[in-house]
Amino acid sequence: MTISKKLSNTIVDAKAFQKGDAVDEAFASLRRDSPFEVATPDGYDPFWVATRHAEIVEIERQPDVFHAGDRANTVRPAAEVLQTMAMTGGDPNWVHALVALDGDVHKAMRAILFPHVTPKALKTMREGLGDVSRQFVDQMLAKAPECDFATEIAFLYPLRVIMQLLRIPIEDEPFMLSVTQQLFSSEDPELNLTRSEVSAAQQRDVLMRINAEFEAYFDKVTLDRRANPDSSLCSLIANATYQGEYLSRKLLMGYYMIAATAGHDTTANTLSGGMWALAKDPALLPQLQRNPELIDAFIEESIRWTVPVKHFMRSAAVDTELAGRKVSKGDWIMLSFHSAARDEAVYEEPHAFRLDRPMNRQIAFGFGSHVCLGQHLARMEMKLFWEELLPRIKAVSLAGEPERTRSNFVCGPKHVPIRFELA
Amino acid sequence: MGRAGTGGTFRKWACRFCGEVYDEELGMPDEGIPPGTRWEEVPDDWFCPQCGAEKSGFELIE
Repeated sequence: MTISKKLSNTIVDAKAFQKGDAVDEAFASLRRDSPFEVATPDGYDPFWVATRHAEIVEIERQPDVFHAGDRANTVRPAAEVLQTMAMTGGDPNWVHALVALDGDVHKAMRAILFPHVTPKALKTMREGLGDVSRQFVDQMLAKAPECDFATEIAFLYPLRVIMQLLRIPIEDEPFMLSVTQQLFSSEDPELNLTRSEVSAAQQRDVLMRINAEFEAYFDKVTLDRRANPDSSLCSLIANATYQGEYLSRKLLMGYYMIAATAGHDTTANTLSGGMWALAKDPALLPQLQRNPELIDAFIEESIRWTVPVKHFMRSAAVDTELAGRKVSKGDWIMLSFHSAARDEAVYEEPHAFRLDRPMNRQIAFGFGSHVCLGQHLARMEMKLFWEELLPRIKAVSLAGEPERTRSNFVCGPKHVPIRFELA
Repeated sequence: MGRAGTGGTFRKWACRFCGEVYDEELGMPDEGIPPGTRWEEVPDDWFCPQCGAEKSGFELIE
């Protein structure tokens, strides 16, 4: 028994994620009837779909059993994966980023930046990042009474933060944003580089071109930081070693890639999701203003409600069993974080935005050894922003219908038109 | 539930940001915390070895 063709196709359909309802209905149906079952979308290799919070946690607790890098770590059509393998000499993933590594090399790569992104380390950056958040709040308020919060503020603020930590010049931020949008939103004609509807082959060609530009850019950064080491994250990556040598090119570029793209995009999506909720529910703003200690809960719920990363793929490294089903070595498995964030067994009224969830155990930033390395930085950025903004506005509401990115992987609000009054 | 120690049953604490478990019975020898170390005896400036969360980010699970 496999998941129906219609549901299988829906859960990989970027347009369905953009619209929202069809995907939510598909996953609700799967959680109820087939919580861990095989999907067979047209053009894709079959894969298991873990739809519930419990199974995803169970998988993520066993990184030696469920590998991140043996097969494609995001869901992609079979032809595309084969082409990637042909061009990389057998590797299903373009770069060796943290999200596609396992075992000792994964631990070693996390250890490079880990000491610099713990809450303790971040406290030393609080003042500097506070200045950046104030600057973007000022920018937003200067646009009163209306702005598109996603494009005018949320896309740009976390980008500025991570670029400052990497020590990348401000004038290069548009390039980094375009790389990010091409990488995560290549199907979206409004965000991809060609600004048009493109076929999978065209998406790949553009991605390869911009990847080459990205690598050329960071080749220069590597040479510079090795010659002139500093305290920036780029310098730590450029000068890191593994087994006595500088990182291989694939590891190096994978690290730069994840820092320069995932290091801001998910935070941007979550900020926009938070603003969407704030503008939609008039009771939220006064509640947060009266009880600023609820900002942490607001951030956790923004992460859960937005679920910026919709899935990652794993594959079984050995024959095993999950949810009473036999999983064979090599089987491909989707961890649907989107579905887990709507799991009725964990969240009452899962589609509602609520601040009163007891110990919100959202896993949208992952869980276990693959939990997002920058999660505490993301939370701090958001906290600084909301603490600065909330006392300075009197009211906020939607000035139009928000829109999501067209993507089945990283997908959040790309437009959040708001109207607001200054306090 | 862990076996009874001299001060009662050993407990487990989990990081709410990544799920890392601190088991009093096992301690975390790699982190310099010997087996049998009670949660209260774990230094306040200790942090989650997996995600970096502060000690206050852990909650009692059993």
